[in-house]
Amino acid sequence: MRDEPDDQLEAELRRLAADREPVPAELLQAAREAFGWRDIDAEIAELVYDSLLDSDEASLVRGPDEPRLVSFTVGGTTIDVEVTSTGPGRSLMGQIAPPGPAVVEIRHQADTVSVTADELGRFRSGPLPPGPASLRLRPPAGAGGPAVVTDWISL
Amino acid sequence: MAVDPDETGQLVRDAAGGDEIAWRGLVDRFSSLVWSVARAHRLGNADAADVFQTTWLRLAEHITRIEQPERVGAWLATAARRECLQCLRTAGRAVPTDDMDRLDLAPAADSPTEEAVLAAEQEREDAARAALLWRAVGRLPARCQELLRILMASPPPSYAEVAAALGLPLGSIGPTRARCLQRLRAEMGGIRNEVAPS
Repeated sequence: MRDEPDDQLEAELRRLAADREPVPAELLQAAREAFGWRDIDAEIAELVYDSLLDSDEASLVRGPDEPRLVSFTVGGTTIDVEVTSTGPGRSLMGQIAPPGPAVVEIRHQADTVSVTADELGRFRSGPLPPGPASLRLRPPAGAGGPAVVTDWISL
Repeated sequence: MAVDPDETGQLVRDAAGGDEIAWRGLVDRFSSLVWSVARAHRLGNADAADVFQTTWLRLAEHITRIEQPERVGAWLATAARRECLQCLRTAGRAVPTDDMDRLDLAPAADSPTEEAVLAAEQEREDAARAALLWRAVGRLPARCQELLRILMASPPPSYAEVAAALGLPLGSIGPTRARCLQRLRAEMGGIRNEVAPS
């Protein structure tokens, strides 16, 4: 199916890309370290909605300055998050359903920030640096149940 | 060397069991592909880095639940593509790069020995050829640039991975590749004629 001159040219391009646009060493290291971020005991709340990936007309009408909305869900739990750009940073405002208090750990880059969700399941963060982030919900002490982690997204 | 899907599947299963060496094997095998997806979507360096990291973090979290372990390359390519599309739609983040157009010839060596002179000459020839090739890629239509950038991943991606990376039908990859490589040769010829008109 593949003929030889094309294969040779493709191989030449491959060497060129390896030479000019290699994967930066610090990113290779970050990918190796990603394994350490796994939380094997937690349930994963999957990304089920992202306004940036929703290409219907409504989202086009909303325009680029509107906040980004993302939703994660697992079992009966839903986490809706509004992401607002504040200059170079990103701020989160979230709602957990069913509502209830929880500790919300925002895992990003090398750091983790903890905020508290109130009785109505609402939480908000200060400005965070752009980049990969994931939320980890811990039920309040004594409430039991497994922790929930969300899919990673790029803020 | 193409990638063996059975070995890939085993790496996924071992990593799912907590084997960090297997995880490193996956990173070695597919990091170039994930990087190529970010490059093909013309993201700036910071955004490309975010896409790359988010994709690997996401795989780490999902590693125990990959339905077709031998197809994890396509899973990664799909995840990376989604991140790229999201990134391109975030206000103020889409800063296209013109890396494909950039011409940076390697500096000529200035060693005095005859061997070094010959080596330097060979190096200059190689650099000239590389520059020509890179420049010709930069002149291709966007679709061809995107496809070739994915095909440039190392080890060579499967067509299923290329299709996942670009959101294209599997059957279109082979014919498009042939057309784009043909076009690339034509562009190289065109540039040669501009440099040295006959």
